[in-house]
Amino acid sequence: MSRAEHPVHLVAGLVVWMLWFVVLYGLLSVGCAVAPPGPGQGIWNWINASLWLISLVVVVGLALAGWWCWRAAIVSDESHARFMTRVSAAIYGLSAAATLAVALPVLFYPPCV
Amino acid sequence: MTEPSRQDRQELHRRFEAVWSNWPGLGTLAAVNHTSIGLRFMVTGVFFFLVGGVLAMLARTQLALPEQDILSPEIYNQVFTMHGTVMMFLFAIPVLEGLALYMIPKLIGARDLVFPRISSLGYYCYLFGGLIILSSLFLGMAPDSGWFMYTPLSSAEYAPGPGSDFWLLGITFVEISAMAAGIELTVSILRSRAPGMSLRHMPIFCWYILAMALMIVFGFPPLILASVLLELERAAGIPFFAVGGGGDPILWQHLFWLFGHPEVYIIFLPAAAIVSTLIPVFSQRPIIGYRWLVLAIILTGFISFGLWVHHMFTVGIPKLAQAFFSVASMIVAIPTAIQVFAWLATLWTGRVVFRLPMLWIFGFLFIFVCGGLTGVMLALVPFNWQVHDTHFVVAHLHYVVVGGMLFPLIAGFYYWLPHFSGRMPTPVLGAWGFWLTFLGFNATFLLMHLTGLLGMPRRVYTYEAGLGWDWLNLLSSVGGFVMAAGIAMVLLDVVLHFRFGRPAGRNPWNADTLEWATGTPPTSYNFASLPDLPTRHPLWESPQLMDSIPEGRHRLTSIDHGRRETFGTDAVTGRLKEVIHLPSNSWWPLLAACSLAVVCVSLLIRMYPLALVGLAGAAVFLLRWSWENGAHPGAAPFTGPETDDPPLHSRTCDGPGLWGMWVTMMANGTLFLSLIFGWLYSWTAAPEWQVPADSHVSIGLLLASGALLTVVTLGYDRLVTALCRGRAEGLFGRLAGLLVLAVAHWLLLLLAVLGSDLDVTAYAHDGLILVMLLYLLFHSSLATVLLGLQLTRVRLGYIGTELPYEPVVLRPFWLYLLAVFWISLGIFFWLPLAWVGGS
Amino acid sequence: MLWWGMAGAFTLVWIFMVVLWLVAVRRDPGEVDDAAAERLQTRWIVGGGLVLPLVAIIAILIPGIPIGHGMLPTADDDVLKIEVTGHQWWWEVHYPDTGLTLEDEVHMPAGVPVHIHLRSADVIHSFWVPRLAGKLDAIPGHENVLKLEADEPGSYRGACAEFCGALHAHMGFVVHVHTVNDFEAWLEGAAEDD
Ligand code: HEM
Ligand SMILES: [Cu+2]
Ligand SMILES: [Cu+2]
Repeated sequence: MSRAEHPVHLVAGLVVWMLWFVVLYGLLSVGCAVAPPGPGQGIWNWINASLWLISLVVVVGLALAGWWCWRAAIVSDESHARFMTRVSAAIYGLSAAATLAVALPVLFYPPCV
Repeated sequence: MTEPSRQDRQELHRRFEAVWSNWPGLGTLAAVNHTSIGLRFMVTGVFFFLVGGVLAMLARTQLALPEQDILSPEIYNQVFTMHGTVMMFLFAIPVLEGLALYMIPKLIGARDLVFPRISSLGYYCYLFGGLIILSSLFLGMAPDSGWFMYTPLSSAEYAPGPGSDFWLLGITFVEISAMAAGIELTVSILRSRAPGMSLRHMPIFCWYILAMALMIVFGFPPLILASVLLELERAAGIPFFAVGGGGDPILWQHLFWLFGHPEVYIIFLPAAAIVSTLIPVFSQRPIIGYRWLVLAIILTGFISFGLWVHHMFTVGIPKLAQAFFSVASMIVAIPTAIQVFAWLATLWTGRVVFRLPMLWIFGFLFIFVCGGLTGVMLALVPFNWQVHDTHFVVAHLHYVVVGGMLFPLIAGFYYWLPHFSGRMPTPVLGAWGFWLTFLGFNATFLLMHLTGLLGMPRRVYTYEAGLGWDWLNLLSSVGGFVMAAGIAMVLLDVVLHFRFGRPAGRNPWNADTLEWATGTPPTSYNFASLPDLPTRHPLWESPQLMDSIPEGRHRLTSIDHGRRETFGTDAVTGRLKEVIHLPSNSWWPLLAACSLAVVCVSLLIRMYPLALVGLAGAAVFLLRWSWENGAHPGAAPFTGPETDDPPLHSRTCDGPGLWGMWVTMMANGTLFLSLIFGWLYSWTAAPEWQVPADSHVSIGLLLASGALLTVVTLGYDRLVTALCRGRAEGLFGRLAGLLVLAVAHWLLLLLAVLGSDLDVTAYAHDGLILVMLLYLLFHSSLATVLLGLQLTRVRLGYIGTELPYEPVVLRPFWLYLLAVFWISLGIFFWLPLAWVGGS
Repeated sequence: MLWWGMAGAFTLVWIFMVVLWLVAVRRDPGEVDDAAAERLQTRWIVGGGLVLPLVAIIAILIPGIPIGHGMLPTADDDVLKIEVTGHQWWWEVHYPDTGLTLEDEVHMPAGVPVHIHLRSADVIHSFWVPRLAGKLDAIPGHENVLKLEADEPGSYRGACAEFCGALHAHMGFVVHVHTVNDFEAWLEGAAEDD
């Protein structure tokens, strides 16, 4: 069994998405409880910056994983492997998209109000 | 068909029936068979649906005209709370679980679920819990704080009567059945598919149910924890949610909706499974976009856990956080849209046979799409602010649950009716039932959107005249009664069909899936022989299976040993791995459920000694049940060297029990994580959180206990690994040594708990620590007792190099205990120190 | 405006879906080979399942985000502050600047934002004036700030929007919006009566 068709890839992308989501929400809540940035700062403050940075890292990671599964899907000639790798690639891709979409408001809203 | 083969077939049937049938008379209460249990779940669910329906009619009667007082506010509040509770917890989830329990083995070519006694336990917990909750209505003390039981309205101070206790205890009791079904379905789907059925060959129904089952496993624990905490607050005064003691009512909302949102999808996924099963059959072509559907199912399963805060947009959470949940809520529309278009494309390319079930599928599409669209509107925060908690939400919610669950369910009932009874429904009465229900539903709820936009809040027992709501409400009520008439028509149709329906014959809809090869109605053992199924459409590709299976022309036909058996296969590829032997009829589940019912009732009436008796009874029955496993004479006794290929699962190191243990520990871990969440949340967000200066837990004892636990667990782990490699020198002695250490660990932990000085009624802080300690103590006690039982079983020869299975199954439990022990110590004692020290 | 646009667009989507379904059921597809089915799958599912919802989401986010922005409370200093406390089953309305306390009625000036500081004395309530703003909860132990702004003088009905027990239905109140001058006059008069 090649590594890309391992069933863990069916869920790994979304597990990462979930962990990221927890970190996002947790960091925001704890950040606002511990060191809330001044109200005048708008979106230019340490919380928004770190949230955005983390999100970008996750998006890139997921996208790379998706691309890796997709390449495995193209070259595989056995239908079981093709099924697993294609679905996995799509999951990674959509997880990356979902991460990007959910992170988008970080660009618009100040964190703690 | 030639005469001899027919005779063989009946002979085979007789011999299988002898092993698989339920006991006659009252003995049927001991049944564990998935077909019986599934049907019981469904019938009970329909009963509760009718109860919920009557309550809805009461509410609609009260609201028909302004300023009526048919129901007093006190009664109205009980009525709508019970309507919501009954519909969600006692109808929607159980009835769908029942359908899944009934269908899954038949679809994957198995003879039963892998933990049949658990099915039975689940059913009785559901039945008893449901009846306990229902009884509150007749005692006039039903819960009245709404189906999500927000504190402090549901707390002892503002709801002094037993209503909230009925809800908390009863629902937790019912929850056991959901967890049981979740675990059992997960493992059955993964480990007992027909040989050759790899993941990609599973009927799409199974993917949906797998996702639902896993969502139950991860979704219900937060609610269970929340209910336990709130009940502790009410009964023992520990202020988990009361502001004064350092609790926070918002914590309840988080925990409730962490469960509550996934719950909506737990209901929707099986309903979508029905739709995805019926549409291809009536289009007479394979579903379009199988891969896309799998993708959509997995996406829904995960993303629906990231939405819970959208029920809390008005509690004053920071805008940015709201925006995250708002976007995530819109994203779930995507997998739903994928499914809807896959269904449409299937219909588009197929030649559609329009029969009664399709009518209900049409109703589903019509109503559900509308509900989905209003759902997207609600996800938009500013709009949500405007209509949250108005009748707009009531309308949206019913478009989603009735459209997305009730209509597909009835479609499914009509579709499988010939499977249950062997007879066909009548088209005329059925069509009347549909149109009345459909028109009545839309009359009730389409207008209600407008009522909500005009500002009518929900959960009001009456309203003033002249606000523009009068005619809308009257029409809604009339619609409600039309819908009730429609449902009555459907019931009548079902009852009459037993008498007048024409015999269905085999596979009346020309379906592709294997349940139609189990007979109409099905035999107790489903399949006399188990075929290889490397296909999604067995009956379209090889219709001869309908004959070759009952004639015994496939595998696993020996039955003279008197054991119930089915195949165990690889979770991914479906490669044949072992023969799973299953328990047969048993009283233990019923007895255990009765004991738990005693616990539940005695907690309700606050007779705590009796609760302890019930608890002890339950423990004894459950352990006695677990005794009849593996090489026990009542299961599959070991009779000297066995050479079977494939081997019996209890002779291996990887059977369904191990998977069940892991899945259970995942659920358990979610419960634990919810507790950690509660701790961290309260620590950072509770408005009056206080760390008492003088409470004390002996860290020294805990560390010592943890050290012993580490030694025991690692020792046990090595012992099991050796056993699986065929080495068992000194097994008994080593196990006995471990047991001594385990008891020492347990004693130290007990001492730490008893010696702790916690002021739990004054501080949420101390209350949470106590809950954590009791959680550890419970697991530690159970692990130690189970280790002791293993030792006895080694002595009796039920465990050895040929029989390594049971220690293997127990291993994850010890590993889990080890993990939660140290994590708890770290998060509850070390982290706060680091925090305080650092700032 | 936005609501009607959204509602109209969504109704169209709904009708479109139902019609599509009816056509799909009625029509005779002829022979559909696997390759054709595959092409159709990609077209329908990508088009309907991915593109359509994405477009819809973006279409409602573009006006939604600025509106959400406008609802954020602004700096607290220079606006009128009113403290509202929910009780079972009435609203206590307090003007901290003048020490005035009212029951179930709020007076405020038109054309300028007002901050309502929401608290609760017992269970959770929710303060809601449908024609002026979205609702916000009054939660024991917490204080929430709702920005309220009325363009036109007049009387506006408000209600409790979170179920709070037996008489939840009767927990209404009225918001009287005056012109700025009238409001000053009212405030003085009321303070004298007190
Ligand atoms: C048979 C047709 C039904 C009618 C006429 C009906 C009617 C109602 C009404 C009038 C309310 C509002 C009570 C209020 O807010 O004051 C309500 C609430 C609710 N309904 Fe239904 N209902 C029906 C079916 C269902 C079904 C099938 C389900 C779920 C599977 C369901 C779940 C709920 C829930 C969860 C609530 C919210 C209860 C609460 O606010 O605590 N209903 N229903
Ligand atoms: Cu939700
Ligand atoms: Cu209220």
